[in-house]
Amino acid sequence: MNKNKIYPKYMLYCPLIFYAVFLIAPSTLGYVLALTDWSATRSSFRDISFVGLENLIGVINKRTLPTAFVNTLIYATVKTVLVTILGLFLAYMLNRSIKGRNILRTLYFLPSVFSALVVGLIFSGIFKVRGGPVNEFFELLGFSRIQWLADRWSAIFTVNVASIWCNVGYAMVISLAGMQSVSQDYLEAAKIDGANEWNIYTRVTLPLIMPVVNVNILTNIIYGLKMFDIIYVMTGGGPGYSTESLGTLMMHEMGAGRYASSVAVNFIFTVFLVIVSVAFKKFSERLELET
Amino acid sequence: MKKREGRKNILYGVVLSILSLTVVYPLLMVFFTSLKDKKEGAALNIKLPKEWLWQNYIEVMKVGNTFRALGNSMFVSAVTLVIVLVAASMLGYVIARLNTRESRSVDRLINLGIIVPFSAMPTMVLLQGLGIYGGLWGLICVYSALYLPFSTMIMTSYVKGIPRELDEAAVIDGAKGIGLFVRIIVPLMKPVAATVVILVFMWSWNELQVPLYLLNSSASYTLPMSVFNFYGANQKWWNLVCADVILVTLPVIVIYICAQKYFISGMTAGAVKM
Repeated sequence: MNKNKIYPKYMLYCPLIFYAVFLIAPSTLGYVLALTDWSATRSSFRDISFVGLENLIGVINKRTLPTAFVNTLIYATVKTVLVTILGLFLAYMLNRSIKGRNILRTLYFLPSVFSALVVGLIFSGIFKVRGGPVNEFFELLGFSRIQWLADRWSAIFTVNVASIWCNVGYAMVISLAGMQSVSQDYLEAAKIDGANEWNIYTRVTLPLIMPVVNVNILTNIIYGLKMFDIIYVMTGGGPGYSTESLGTLMMHEMGAGRYASSVAVNFIFTVFLVIVSVAFKKFSERLELET
Repeated sequence: MKKREGRKNILYGVVLSILSLTVVYPLLMVFFTSLKDKKEGAALNIKLPKEWLWQNYIEVMKVGNTFRALGNSMFVSAVTLVIVLVAASMLGYVIARLNTRESRSVDRLINLGIIVPFSAMPTMVLLQGLGIYGGLWGLICVYSALYLPFSTMIMTSYVKGIPRELDEAAVIDGAKGIGLFVRIIVPLMKPVAATVVILVFMWSWNELQVPLYLLNSSASYTLPMSVFNFYGANQKWWNLVCADVILVTLPVIVIYICAQKYFISGMTAGAVKM
């Protein structure tokens, strides 16, 4: 029988049309809006006119976009590196026969199911100037209180702490799943050859679970670059525009009524994400082939 | 040798228990603060409340309009779940089976959806054009499209593991098309469906960015939106903010503890094949 009769095409195209309308169309055709002078004062489409690349050049020349771009890179890099390392570290320890390891696994994974909004709120509380546990502890040691969210770098630090806190569990679970799939035979063989524990981990286990670690890294990069909620809740992009990410900058451009600029930021964001993801995939494929 | 292993394990156990305080402390802090009065709640710590004020929760529900938001969230999550399940299972099935150039490009297009960020303003324009901007149905459509790619990816890799001979046997018995899918394949997809259900529920329940753009009246706020607005208006009253946080998080925690297996298999599903 014809393959197309067994697997009818409408099963492919019905969902695809829905997906194309609500996701692909806005994030491709929709970017045409970045080329117009659409704004809060010209919100009707009858009034807007084509202005070319003006908005794109405009947002790039303003200080806000480069700052947001750098911040986004910082958020994503710090998160990816620390979450991956901490995840591997926790997974390594939790993969041994430790008492109560199921409870520990449950606990470490718990923050991954929280909404980023809740995580942001919890950490706003923890880094609260008056009455927050971190500052109380500092006072106990005789230091003065720190206004964590009032300075660019300390604010970026606190946001990073929050985002690492809620993502480590996920990285741990993935690494753990990888480690459990490593055949015991390899480990035994390495042991017989006289390798110590560290050597077994770095030379046998790690290379074998590299594909899993790469997925972990890619997910962290993508979601790190897309980070929005935690920043929006904790700093709102402030002080000034100094902790803005591309996601929150989009929101603020819209809030300020510069609709077309918001779309322009969105467009740059999309192009950037696609380039980074494709580049990482190519890079990691080569890495996996070599090992 | 065995003894040294054992001692090492105890050491690791101690280290891990101490480290787990980084998770336990904030949670206890939020829980205890949610039961304190306004003055006591200004300092966040894990001291037991002097008086256990359960009425904080009632106050939050009244002021924050939590019940309405809870209803909205449940409705949005449920409908999104149904749409994603139906669409992703069909897509995953056909992509896995129909290895043509056409199906491969559909697969690529779907994978692109995992990467691209939410395009906020264009989506708003689209929903306005369709006349569903500001309401829950617009939100549902956008959620479904946003969560479809990852769900489809999981479904595809699962269907690839179902032997093709099964289809062939069914074809000989006269089944084809949607009948074959519903009668033969769907019953086999239960485990992966559970995974998708958990993931999509968690995403749609927790989402803040999309409703910030797409909802315009407090009557249609979802839970995260109501919490966000409550926090904006009552920033000083940490006892109430904490109570609100507990209210919005509790359903997820309960489901997580009951269905931990599916949560973990859901979150690792993407790692198996990507």
